[in-house]
Amino acid sequence: MSFAEISLVAALATGAAAIAAALAIGEPRRRTLLTGVLTAGCGAGGLLAAMGVLATGRPVEAEFPHLLPFAGLSFRLDAFGAVFVLVAGGGASAAALYGISYTRDHLSGRSFQALVPAFVLTLLLVPAANSMSTFLMLWELMAVTSLLLVLAEQRRSPNAREAAMWYGVMTHLGFIALLLMFSLLAAHAADGSFAAIRHTSSTMAPALRSLVFLLALVGFGSKAGMVPLHAWLPRAHPEAPSHVSALMSAVMVNLGIYGLVRVGFGLLGGGPSWWWLVLLALGAVSALFGILHALASTDLKRMLAYSTTENMGLVLVGVAAAGLFTSTGHPVLAAAALGAVLLHVINHAAFKGLLFLAAGSVVRGTGERDLDQLGGLMRRMPVTGAMFTLGAVAITALPPLNGFMSEWLLLQSLIHGAQSHVVAVAVAVPVAIAVLALTTGLTAATFVKATGTGFLALPRTRAAEDAEESPRSMLLGMGVLAGACVFLAIAVGVLAGGLARAIAAVGGVTSPAPFRVHGTTVSLPWQIVGTSVVLGVAVVVGVVAISVALRVLPRGARRRRTENWGCGRTQQTARMEYTASSFAEPLVRVFDDVLHPELDIDVTHREESQYYVESISLQRGIKDAFEERVYRPVLGGVAAWGRWARQIQNGSVHRYLAYGFVALVLLLVAIR
Amino acid sequence: MSVTRAAVPILQVVLVVVAGPLLIGVIRKVRARLEGRVGAPIHQPLRDLRKLLTKERLLPEHASWVFALAPAVLVSSAVATAALVPLVSTVSPFAHVSDLVTITALLLLGTVALALGALDPGTAFGGMGSSREMTIAALTEPTLLLSIAAISILAGTTNLPAVVASTLHRPEAVISIGYLLAIVALAIATLAESARLPVDNPNTHLELTMVHEAMVLEYAGPDLALVESGSSIRLAIFLGLLANLLVPWGIATTPSVARLALGTLAFVGKISLLAILLGVFEVFTAKIRLFRVPELLALSLVLSFLAVIIAVVHR
Amino acid sequence: MTRATYAELLNLLAGIALVAAVLTLWRRKLVAIVRLLAVQGAAVAATGLVIGIDRASVSAIVLATLAFALKAGVIPLVLLRLVRRGPDARETQPLVNVSASLVAAALLIALAFASTSAVVSLSSGPESRVIPLGFAIVLVGFFSLATRGKAPSQLVGFLLFENGVALVAVLAAAGVSVVVELGVALDVLLAVLVLQVLTARMQDKFGSLDLDQLQELHD
Repeated sequence: MSFAEISLVAALATGAAAIAAALAIGEPRRRTLLTGVLTAGCGAGGLLAAMGVLATGRPVEAEFPHLLPFAGLSFRLDAFGAVFVLVAGGGASAAALYGISYTRDHLSGRSFQALVPAFVLTLLLVPAANSMSTFLMLWELMAVTSLLLVLAEQRRSPNAREAAMWYGVMTHLGFIALLLMFSLLAAHAADGSFAAIRHTSSTMAPALRSLVFLLALVGFGSKAGMVPLHAWLPRAHPEAPSHVSALMSAVMVNLGIYGLVRVGFGLLGGGPSWWWLVLLALGAVSALFGILHALASTDLKRMLAYSTTENMGLVLVGVAAAGLFTSTGHPVLAAAALGAVLLHVINHAAFKGLLFLAAGSVVRGTGERDLDQLGGLMRRMPVTGAMFTLGAVAITALPPLNGFMSEWLLLQSLIHGAQSHVVAVAVAVPVAIAVLALTTGLTAATFVKATGTGFLALPRTRAAEDAEESPRSMLLGMGVLAGACVFLAIAVGVLAGGLARAIAAVGGVTSPAPFRVHGTTVSLPWQIVGTSVVLGVAVVVGVVAISVALRVLPRGARRRRTENWGCGRTQQTARMEYTASSFAEPLVRVFDDVLHPELDIDVTHREESQYYVESISLQRGIKDAFEERVYRPVLGGVAAWGRWARQIQNGSVHRYLAYGFVALVLLLVAIR
Repeated sequence: MSVTRAAVPILQVVLVVVAGPLLIGVIRKVRARLEGRVGAPIHQPLRDLRKLLTKERLLPEHASWVFALAPAVLVSSAVATAALVPLVSTVSPFAHVSDLVTITALLLLGTVALALGALDPGTAFGGMGSSREMTIAALTEPTLLLSIAAISILAGTTNLPAVVASTLHRPEAVISIGYLLAIVALAIATLAESARLPVDNPNTHLELTMVHEAMVLEYAGPDLALVESGSSIRLAIFLGLLANLLVPWGIATTPSVARLALGTLAFVGKISLLAILLGVFEVFTAKIRLFRVPELLALSLVLSFLAVIIAVVHR
Repeated sequence: MTRATYAELLNLLAGIALVAAVLTLWRRKLVAIVRLLAVQGAAVAATGLVIGIDRASVSAIVLATLAFALKAGVIPLVLLRLVRRGPDARETQPLVNVSASLVAAALLIALAFASTSAVVSLSSGPESRVIPLGFAIVLVGFFSLATRGKAPSQLVGFLLFENGVALVAVLAAAGVSVVVELGVALDVLLAVLVLQVLTARMQDKFGSLDLDQLQELHD
């Protein structure tokens, strides 16, 4: 057995042991510790297995034909799936370590503790599924376990139930789309295995292929948080416990991307340009929509959830670009775009996971999720603050951290793709570049807002003043992901070979490596353009050098702490600080045609006279435009149809018997 | 690698660190003369920096390490950019990583660092400046990247020294409408990023009209010297970039001492000219309202988008 | 002039015309908008002039000079007189705000380029490669016509639209026949004069040039 196979089996065994431990152990502390450690081991095993597959390119295969009735289970972990298993394994280890102390107090029950490793196992296995039934079964298991995990905190949070309902309904609607899609594919093929589907998909009628692609868009797009099927994401992700949120946002949404690329490129083998243009438009709208709502949001976890929509939108833009380049005959650019996509998936998992874990640390330490109630946490929670700042710098795609590299690759492939001679590409690509650039700027604004108002300056409320730093295992979990961010920034060359193998494994994109690495320089395969890790390192070295040099100055050895100048006034209080909503206000105003912020001012007058005001209350909110314009009418329509259909049930026994009789007659007629 | 080639980044860094404050001095002198005053000598900003370096270092009582590190990050990222951009010569040890996208990202790093540092003391003006600065930065990013895309498409590469070299070979390529539009959009973005009129008034003393100045109100002594120096380096880089994209005459293409000297003189001459023009422009321009700034930036976005479309179609 | 210079000159002039059209969406003062219209008309007429010089066709040169006088001289003067009459007709009042209309202009330009690509590939001359720019002016002019609130700025939008059509015609036929162009120009002049009189009457009657007021007539 190869290294990858051994690691994978070890991972599965450890995961099963974790479930067993969660169910068997009586003492809560020991339960959380052992389950956490075993789940972390499961994740690490998955990580190692993925690394093994990526290093050699040889897939891991396993067949269990009699395990499920009719179809059996079939697994094949190739290099492309390995990227997603890598992400899942790494994220799961960090989240599990974090969870040891996070769940110590109120989430230490058996069912919760057993569900987490189950969820992790499904996350590791979905990318390895090799037949329709295996995939759908694992997908559904993943949805069910995560749904139950979202419900975990329903006693403490009133919104959890509603969030879970939205999540449940939407994920199952997506499931139906996937079921239809796979049925169409499998009906045309010999059986439901991916190999058979790949074999016969090219002989399907173009209209049927397009239908399959659209169903894939609906099913996988809703999992990835693509607009307009995103409404569950900003509800469900914040309500789940933070380490589960991290797993959902950093790992589970990626599986939507996995599915889309697997079906679009691998199973269908690419398609006409209009598929990719539709995907590009949807991705661009998701990205802009996500970041604008993140900017306007003051709830820390909701902001991060919207930011996930944005990043997945960017990834979809990259996938669409890769598809466009393939269908118009630029295989080298397509490989670069797909490489950028995969790199961004890995990077996003690292920094989004880190940000969610840090947010969970804040929620645990202060009990508050609203940025307007926080502040000054850098003093009381220095490690969490530093971790959040690191994550914020990474997500803004700034050198020296990892987000920069994937954003750079994506931009480069788009800029070079704009030189295409195909009109659709030549016009769509500048729009994509503009959207990418705008989202980068808005991300910078959003995360300056989050870090600045949440962690810097003075605490705004008692809760923030009394914040306490998190226990060691939570810090360790965050540290693992922070280390991953730094590692990915410095050693991105390590991934070059693995990514090339992953792209080759997808099929439908034929080309050499997405990028080349010479020492510390990453360069593109078609020209002498590159970027280097040295730059980021140089900036860091420069900062250190300047800080040291300052101490050498005549009066520079010590810094004196003093009052703020504040333009000549004294006594700084927390009321003078900018809040998150005020920070975002100018940008929200620029985009108010898109966001439609609502302002409610309620003035209560005194009884004695209308001229004296007792109190004024102001409420400002931003509603999701898609929910108002799309969801509400659709739900209203469904409800109306349901009410109309109730006429069928009028209570009369005769009518019900008549229904049965008529159905029987019709059946007899039809069978004739 | 020859010694002269390795010396190019060091030469460029020293040049911008010294030339940055001098540029500010030139702009102030030009404005003063046009307004009928004598004005301070051109090297006054350098004297101010020296004075600031001798002062005591102060830290607001509620600030954390973010406030303390922000000026260092600003200067460090600006210096790294200065080492990359082909100001004096197109040959340097970093030529193959001198990429337009990288430079935009490095400059954004400086902006973000300063914005975070402004939020740390917790003053209202710091928050205001930071909020406004991030609004402007967010809206300038698309313009910057699209102008870069247009220039890269016309030149066939995003590598800056290669772009400048191709313009050296074919100077008439600059007169095309696509290139000119990209440069105009880049110029508007420069004004926005460097906090000059009409986006922000660097000489205002009214806090409610400040954007950049409001962010640095709490810095004093050597930290303030770093911030001022960093901002002037960024201005020098932007002006140098504009100059070399438009008229790269004089830039050194071989690492010989004579060519480097000529390149230095050409660079200094070009940015001084641009500084004088900027000074004249500032005398005749008023600051536009904050909520009209997005309209100006939307205009520059449309111009740069148009530049990309024209560049794509006419290749 | 060489082929390359000719092509670049056409590009430059058409580009200036398009940028002037986009700038009318940005400026608020009506006087500035009329001046931009004059610049735009001058650029369009100059395009005709360049094409006429290239083909050494006297009729085309004469026509272009006439068009220049009309588009850059007469019509803007008439409009300026109109704008300076009303006391409150100084600033535009767009239905779509400035930033949104600029973004819409960008998308319309992309649409123009995307949809005229087939036309461009029909002929190989340098004129046909500039047609997308002309078509973009048509679209931007139409957008301006549809979303401006005050009558003079709507007029400007109409004139932008007409200039765009003229530019596309001049490029497509590489020199339109004298009679056609003259006829069209006179039509436009007539339309502008009539509209000027009408607008002056509106101003006198309602005291403002707000087109929403026209809805009052309906009641």
